[in-house]
Amino acid sequence: MDSPSSQESVGFDYLFKLLLIGDSGVGKSSLLLSFTSDSFQDLSPTIGVDFKVKYADIGGKKLKLAIWDTAGQERFRTLTSSYYRGAQGIIMVYDVTRRETFTNLSDIWAKEIDLYSTNQDCIKMLVGNKVDKESERVVMKKEGINFAREYGCLFIECSAKTRLNVQQCFEELVLKILDTPSLLAEGSKVLKKNIFKQKPPQPDTSSSSCC
Amino acid sequence: MKALRRSQTSSPSSSNPSSPSSSSSSSSWIHLRSALFVIASSSPASCSSSDRGNLKSPWSRRKRKHALSPQQWRRLFTPEGKLRDGGVKFLKKVRSGGVDPSIRAEVWPFLLGVYELKSSKEEREILRTQKRKEYEKLRRQCRRLLKQSDEGNKLKENFGISSHGDSGSLIEGTDSPDSEDVVSARESLSSEERSSDMEHLDNATNALLEGDAGSRRVTDPYAADSESSDSDSSEDPDISQTFPSMESQEESDRDMLSKDDSSASKAEVQSKPQTTEDFVTWQRIIRLDAVRANGEWMAYSPTQAAVSDDRARHSAEAVGLKDCDHLEPGRIFHAARLVAILEAYALYDPEIGYCQGMSDLLSPIIAVITEDHEAFWCFVGFMRKARHNFRLDEVGIRRQLNIVSKIIKSKDSHLYRHLETLQAEDCFFVYRMVVVLFRRELTFEQTLCLWEVMWADQAAIRAGIGKSAWSRIRQRAPPTEDLLLYAIAASVLQRRKQIIQKYSSMDEILRECNSMAGHLDIWKLLDDAHNLVVTLHDKIDTPF
Repeated sequence: MDSPSSQESVGFDYLFKLLLIGDSGVGKSSLLLSFTSDSFQDLSPTIGVDFKVKYADIGGKKLKLAIWDTAGQERFRTLTSSYYRGAQGIIMVYDVTRRETFTNLSDIWAKEIDLYSTNQDCIKMLVGNKVDKESERVVMKKEGINFAREYGCLFIECSAKTRLNVQQCFEELVLKILDTPSLLAEGSKVLKKNIFKQKPPQPDTSSSSCC
Repeated sequence: MKALRRSQTSSPSSSNPSSPSSSSSSSSWIHLRSALFVIASSSPASCSSSDRGNLKSPWSRRKRKHALSPQQWRRLFTPEGKLRDGGVKFLKKVRSGGVDPSIRAEVWPFLLGVYELKSSKEEREILRTQKRKEYEKLRRQCRRLLKQSDEGNKLKENFGISSHGDSGSLIEGTDSPDSEDVVSARESLSSEERSSDMEHLDNATNALLEGDAGSRRVTDPYAADSESSDSDSSEDPDISQTFPSMESQEESDRDMLSKDDSSASKAEVQSKPQTTEDFVTWQRIIRLDAVRANGEWMAYSPTQAAVSDDRARHSAEAVGLKDCDHLEPGRIFHAARLVAILEAYALYDPEIGYCQGMSDLLSPIIAVITEDHEAFWCFVGFMRKARHNFRLDEVGIRRQLNIVSKIIKSKDSHLYRHLETLQAEDCFFVYRMVVVLFRRELTFEQTLCLWEVMWADQAAIRAGIGKSAWSRIRQRAPPTEDLLLYAIAASVLQRRKQIIQKYSSMDEILRECNSMAGHLDIWKLLDDAHNLVVTLHDKIDTPF
């Protein structure tokens, strides 16, 4: 079992919650696996949500990253939408070889962030995955840049398979979060909660929408 | 909540079994079964063993039975090929120990309600032929739709717009029967049969597609209904029964906008986060999921795993499956079969269509059953209950999470209070277990055994055996529709100590649950579930 021991949970400065969203099959789970365990394999579709933790030193800080991986199919979204709550970073992933995964980001996913994200300052990042399939590329880098400019988010192209830019993707996002005082405050709030486990968790006003 | 309409494939019989006969337990032990003991649980079970002493669940260690063997299976039938006592002994046997792998393909159609328990061999032969034809019709329809959407895509590529379904052109296309794409290598239907099928299916196609066309819908759903009632007299009751369910889908989708990305309306498209899913979307996701299906089945189905490269490629071409060149032939073949059956299912049950996770449920079935049409009807039988997990309105999944929550609350108030503190009492952390029925947490063989036990319970209830045969044994748990949910609750209760002492957030519990794979002993799980059923089945209200 890979659950962190309690010693580990004390040993970080901030805890950030990151969320991966995007169409089915764009490589969200692969990107996460590539980042957390340096490996790549064919993964079954994600059902509901999955969750991984990665400890990292970024920007001179010790960080615990709780990264939520969501199912791509629209049908799962009412339940999974509650996972937007409290995220400091949201990674929107598309597949550079399938145009509809890119257009759906503006048509569907960006709107969904507006609807469900409770965090005004939350950092968004656009990620074009599968650049290892350069010959099949249909979404140009320029288009990604334009999208990012329009929506005010970060942008990077990467390959979960070759691990090109995977590390940078998460680092850039986290650096930006570290640059944002309100998000930083949230990250350390959670930290306190984790150290003093006896304390009940902070009451959350926007309670879960499911059931 | 809206009333549910299920499309039933075979009417559950109201068989009245004769007196229950106790299953003959031989003492021999099958090696296979020992493979199921993947006991790695360091955590002691929560269910106290004191109340287990005299109840003797069929799954307790002391009473553990072996799987239904081929010999026992043959002996259960009369010379006319009927199960001797209406299936009571059969179901009891399967319920307590699962089915020997060598006879699964024969047994599953009975467990899944494809064949009635009291049917004769002759009746089953007739039904089988009929069902095969029905399936082939669905497949022809799928091929036609695929061809049309491919043509649509080519058109759209020229305009550089995204490939969401352009329903308009699809509807037009269906008006002209296309005879060349109905010819498949595996079909040997007469041309007469083919053309009559065609007409009927075109109606179905039109209604289906128009239903998906959202704001541009021109067909009155009731018109589709009456069309289908005409066809009730035809050999095809199942297809027609899918229409009422479409109607209810339309209701729930009424305020959702269509995703019509035709070039003219592109600029005005204003998608909400929740949009309708259409058949073209399903076709696309089915293919995505088929090529990344888990390969665990291969060890259990060596003949399919060793399929020739030619046959694999041919089957992939037949269903229009691309992007699978990186896979070995066995997996291509498996992926192609997944596509064929899932697509047919999406047409058969358009209220559900396709949802991710369904490929997890189908994969073991096609690994066991080599004929596509048989696998399809077994899947339909499986989905009769499991389809609620995939409903667009998520009512089915919420109901089940709620039951798991109630079970935990009734059994272990301490744990429940802890969950409340963490705002996790909705039991969302077992979501995946519920949706794909433990498939992700158990090994292939474990999954099959658990499903067989669960199917046996459900079959007993369908056949009305639940009340008669089990009621005398008051101490024992009666068959329940929700055995799976009790097992899920048991898996959580087995970890109560960790959850209470170590976990301070719902996230951690979810991670624990999502990493149970390889740490579960299904017979222990069932034994614990049995205790929960015994003590709680009267208290847990499970309306549906």
